[in-house]
Amino acid sequence: MKTRLSRVWHHMFVFPKYLIFHPFDGFDEFKRYRKGKMWVALVYVALFAFYRIMAYQYESFLINPNDPLALNSLQEIFAVILLVMLFSVGNWSMTTLMEGKGSFREILKVTGYALFPLVLIGFIGLMLSNFLTLEEMGFYRLLLFIGYIASGWVLFMGILNIHEYGLFKTLMAFLLTFVAMGVMMFIGLLFFDLIQQFIAFIVAIYEELSLR
Amino acid sequence: MLRIISLVSLLMSTPLLFMSARYNYSYYGRVIHSSPGMTYVAYYNSATMGVPLQSPEDMTVFEDKVYVIDSQTHALTILDHDFSVLHHEHTFTFAPSLDKAAAGVEPEDEELTLFRPRGLDVRDSGIYICDTANHRIVKLDHDLRVVGVFHDIEDPTFETISFEPMKITVDSSERMYVVARNVYEGIVELGSEGEFNRFTGVNPLTPNPLEILRRSFMTEEQLAQLTLFLPTEYTNVHIDHRSFIYATSRPTGAAAENMIQLINPKGIDILVRNGYHPPMGDVHFIVGQNNYVVTGPSRLVSIVSTDHGIYTVLDQRRSRLFTYDAQGNLLYINGDEGAQSDRFSEGVAIAYFGDDILVLDRGTRTIVHYRPSEFGRAVNQAIAHQEVGEFEEASALWEDVLMMNSNYETAYNGLGRYHLRAGNYQEAMEYFRLGHDHYYYSKAFQLHRNNIIKDNFALIGAAALIVSGVFIGMKVRKTLKQGGTILYED
Repeated sequence: MKTRLSRVWHHMFVFPKYLIFHPFDGFDEFKRYRKGKMWVALVYVALFAFYRIMAYQYESFLINPNDPLALNSLQEIFAVILLVMLFSVGNWSMTTLMEGKGSFREILKVTGYALFPLVLIGFIGLMLSNFLTLEEMGFYRLLLFIGYIASGWVLFMGILNIHEYGLFKTLMAFLLTFVAMGVMMFIGLLFFDLIQQFIAFIVAIYEELSLR
Repeated sequence: MLRIISLVSLLMSTPLLFMSARYNYSYYGRVIHSSPGMTYVAYYNSATMGVPLQSPEDMTVFEDKVYVIDSQTHALTILDHDFSVLHHEHTFTFAPSLDKAAAGVEPEDEELTLFRPRGLDVRDSGIYICDTANHRIVKLDHDLRVVGVFHDIEDPTFETISFEPMKITVDSSERMYVVARNVYEGIVELGSEGEFNRFTGVNPLTPNPLEILRRSFMTEEQLAQLTLFLPTEYTNVHIDHRSFIYATSRPTGAAAENMIQLINPKGIDILVRNGYHPPMGDVHFIVGQNNYVVTGPSRLVSIVSTDHGIYTVLDQRRSRLFTYDAQGNLLYINGDEGAQSDRFSEGVAIAYFGDDILVLDRGTRTIVHYRPSEFGRAVNQAIAHQEVGEFEEASALWEDVLMMNSNYETAYNGLGRYHLRAGNYQEAMEYFRLGHDHYYYSKAFQLHRNNIIKDNFALIGAAALIVSGVFIGMKVRKTLKQGGTILYED
């Protein structure tokens, strides 16, 4: 029991922490010895969605502009999943063309692991924000900023290592990934809009016929 | 049987009761029900007054007398405090002191007539009338004799366009502030002898970068076809006892936030906008073409202020009155569009008549008289107490207000302020949370937190010591276990 618990602790906390401070060694182990686990990545994606819901509701009253009646947990969960999937698919489709060595699974895992600092700092900050006055909220913002920077750092180093890219190629890959995400969103919107119109057309024909 | 009939008729009239504007905007921008702040008292029109009222344009109250100007009968009507007619004058004789040549009147003229006057203001120094179609301002003394005619405004602006004064207000040193038609430079400030001083309340335009980029690609012809990008066009002015000018303007594009301005003597807008939403009339409105509802932001045409910085604006588009306090909180919304006697259809001017409000309606040629309801009176009194720092008296009134309208979020802030003063920080926090006042919540929270830390300092210190002791102990244990030493070794 104890060893299982310590293994979970190692995968959930020790190894992600190691990735932040030793990105090259860490992601080498991550890729070569398969130390990056899919379940850890998915747990962090889920925790991030959970964090977003919690932050919406329980962020300090002083800086929380959200209407509690407008909270939609499903929407928050969907937004997180959409973002993660968009990035993974976009990055995968671009790096495949750019001779990246990473597989789709690895990209998804890196994305999940990259959320670790944000989730950790986010929950700590969430608690802390409720003990701060308006003037002290700068500390909370700084903390969150550090969280975002750390997450961006892990994501960047992860993508760089699993694809075995150099610095400029990674930057290029990120740029193209964002372009790909934009294209996918556009096509998605177009698709839904057309489907909607098509369904409306069918419904109109059905009504015409049924009302005769 | 009678009971059933009365019940049915009550049920059928319920939608009518709810139709009138009894709402307010919550912190989150939702439309919430509110108690009416004003109730209808009476209306006054040609039939009740006995003098014709064809197209009334402006109205003001001075020393309990109501002054009304009409652009069709070209007459000035003065009503007594019981709304009986004191004067109804078409012509005005000249005071002997008036220099006719300088005033631009023919020397043989015995009397002066107005032509399509649009605005007026009455002060101790006299009655000021915007004689619009005659391009001049006429100043009368309180015996209704002409003591001044100001027609020639010495400014390059009026070399190309004629001076058409629309609305006027006068400060304690007899400076006149005039809103003139087609003038975009700001409010015209004239000295006591009618000499041009300056434009005040000028709003410099700052086009956004996108607009500049878009325009740089356009040809001369395309630019000429664009709608003119004009600065604020003022619709009305009102000066308060501190010589600050309350001004309303047309909404310019998306910037509906600064439709109401409070212009200080330096010409800068200093209106406090601490409410949940900036004072702008209706916060929510439908934009674009719609056949079923009135669209677009409020069209504010008149503004008046009363004691303690409370001011009311008149929205002509939806026939509503919005009353704000000095902090910019929306206190209550009154009035509604309609032809019934308690409604109005084309409001042009409002005036405070004591605590009451008079609305001048050009559409039905009526003055509608509203009086604060019990709720409105309690709100006004509570704000009056709060402005001078009497939080305890205010809190009792806020309690009453909440009895009448538990949706009233501003009242919770008032109660919070009292509890903050009284040292009940936890109650204060609770009320500020309900009223969404972040600034004072933070103050109350800080004091509450300090109290907790003070009371439990020994416990907190002990906990900190124990936690750090445990950490050091664990570290020492680990070091010793691994065969190391905790002593410094070289």
